[in-house]
Amino acid sequence: MAHSLTHGETSLPADWRDLFALTKPRVMSLVVFTALCGLLAAPGTVHPVLAFSSILAIALGAGASGALNQWYEAGLDAKMKRTAGRPLPAGRLDPQTALQFGVGLAAFSVFLMLFASNWQAALLLLASILFYVFVYTMWLKPRTPQNIVIGGAAGAFPPLIGWVAATGSIAPLPVLLFLLIFLWTPPHFWALALFVRSDYAAAGIPMMPVVAGEKSTRRQILVYALIMAAAAIAPWPLGYAGALYGWTAVLLSALFVILSVQVGTRMAREGDTMQPEKRLFAYSIAYLFILFGAVVADHWWPL
Amino acid sequence: MTEPVNDIPEPFDEAEYRRRQRARANLMALLLGGLAVLFFFITIAKLTVLK
Repeated sequence: MAHSLTHGETSLPADWRDLFALTKPRVMSLVVFTALCGLLAAPGTVHPVLAFSSILAIALGAGASGALNQWYEAGLDAKMKRTAGRPLPAGRLDPQTALQFGVGLAAFSVFLMLFASNWQAALLLLASILFYVFVYTMWLKPRTPQNIVIGGAAGAFPPLIGWVAATGSIAPLPVLLFLLIFLWTPPHFWALALFVRSDYAAAGIPMMPVVAGEKSTRRQILVYALIMAAAAIAPWPLGYAGALYGWTAVLLSALFVILSVQVGTRMAREGDTMQPEKRLFAYSIAYLFILFGAVVADHWWPL
Repeated sequence: MTEPVNDIPEPFDEAEYRRRQRARANLMALLLGGLAVLFFFITIAKLTVLK
């Protein structure tokens, strides 16, 4: 039996779990859920197989974006405690495999969307992948503290794509849902950035707390939370959603603003455990899940 | 005089190499099979919708 193969000449094939981790599965769950809600809230019915395939295409597209993001940011990830254990900085995966996996998955996701749905949805999916990789990851993130404000658009695409996959056209409600995620992104990420600030500073990423300081970031979290609350409630008075969604949005957004006031009106002290910031970050995820669930519930079972 | 350089490669773990190869091959077979089934049902669904 030949034992001449060495680590220097031949590396171990990537473990599939590392390839899976490259797709950021936790982020993907929110993407899949909001896309599904966009699809289910759309008028008319979609064949279940085509609906499943469209959501699968969106999930694969999101996974591809995550993989290409991790491929590009492997060096930065290695400098941050939160991300140092990822497959690339930890050395469990080689960059070439990650790049090929990301590009292949992206191409396949767009092809699947084109095959299962329509060219409009496929085009939007392609645009969201390119926006996330080139505009957010490569251009904005290392250059400006407004990175996640503008880059938030990438994460706001899924409900719009879900709707377009079902109908073939854009309508006001999915645009408002796009706007909601777009405005939700800054308070969500800045709450996180406040309690992992040193990580971002070590990696040289110009996140808002690192560049503009803690006080300014806290004030902006509050401002964005107020605008986001208005955008979240807007579909109700505008007539694009009913009372079930409206009351859910009012109550959940009120709580979001209360938590943001707690974050926006304080300053961290020596040895602070940052509980209000962690609470806002955790709540913001639940907020989006419940609110999008309410969009669907309101469409199928209006009050 | 030069120090002897310790550049002897680590012994290659062939069992681990084969295990990963097998795991990936099995997964690839499953994915390709799943895709074939999915594409079949998408085609049927599109024909049904067109009718």
